[in-house]
Amino acid sequence: MGERILEAMTPKKIFSIQLPGVEIPVTDVVIVSWIIMAVIIILALLFTSRLKLVPDKRQAAVEITVEGLYNMVKNQTGHHYAMVAPYIGTILIFLVISNVVSIFNILPDWEYLHRLTGWKLLDHIPTLRILPPTRNVNVTAAMGIMSILAVIIYSVRAKGVIGWIKNFKKPIGLMIPFNILDYIFRPVSLCFRLFGNILGGVIIMELIYIVLPVAIPAALSLYFDLFDGLLQAYVFAILTAMYIGEAIES
Amino acid sequence: MESIGLLAAGIAVLSGVGAGVGIGIATGKATEAIARQPEMANKITTTLLIGGAMAEATALYGFVVALMLLFVK
Repeated sequence: MGERILEAMTPKKIFSIQLPGVEIPVTDVVIVSWIIMAVIIILALLFTSRLKLVPDKRQAAVEITVEGLYNMVKNQTGHHYAMVAPYIGTILIFLVISNVVSIFNILPDWEYLHRLTGWKLLDHIPTLRILPPTRNVNVTAAMGIMSILAVIIYSVRAKGVIGWIKNFKKPIGLMIPFNILDYIFRPVSLCFRLFGNILGGVIIMELIYIVLPVAIPAALSLYFDLFDGLLQAYVFAILTAMYIGEAIES
Repeated sequence: MESIGLLAAGIAVLSGVGAGVGIGIATGKATEAIARQPEMANKITTTLLIGGAMAEATALYGFVVALMLLFVK
């Protein structure tokens, strides 16, 4: 049982890129992220091509989504929202898709089918399990670092370098060390919050698949994969928006 | 040595108790607030989600520590 959970936790190496001196392993986490990025780019191109003044159904749906996003960011960041909203929207869409991507696991486990039926042919098809890339701490660490860099960049863009540095001694000069610590602990807590939630969901689902492989997982997957993933994506995006808002307003 | 690690992992996960109590209190208060002022429901829900995420963090640190104790050799 432990092996199966460990297998779900650790990224699998698919191939590696050979460079002179170094070898860069490419894991399934990276491949799934690439696929998600490609899907997002294709969807974005499909939905934003041929925009008209009088929107049709497809364009109206996109406009409602974008407007909702802008309103969400506006509530958190105030009047600079038009500058921040594209970044928040991007990470929200990426996280929503990558957190719930395990519900698109429609291909069966070929090895299991091979053992069940005894057909030799099935053994040659490689099993591809799609698990959320955010279950890996490297992905969420990158997202956390990106968020804190965004805080710095937007703060500098809104108030200039001097204004950003002056931010450190708010509300009083005594708070300087705590404000500096904020820049270290915020990305760490963002990173571990997302990582822990998604990995927890993956492990619990894996346990359920081992104990009750039929029918029950479908109902529980709604909570652990779908609801939890969507909630965590929302929380990550809204916390980033809140940090940015805090840094550019005051 | 192995079994001590397992015990430690079990103790680390106990941090979930605090998060459960915290989120319970927050949700109770949010329900009260919405009952009093239903027109503020949207804002209260957003605040509740953010607060819930903050309260949950402690439980997750415990969970991550437990995972490290179990799987990182």
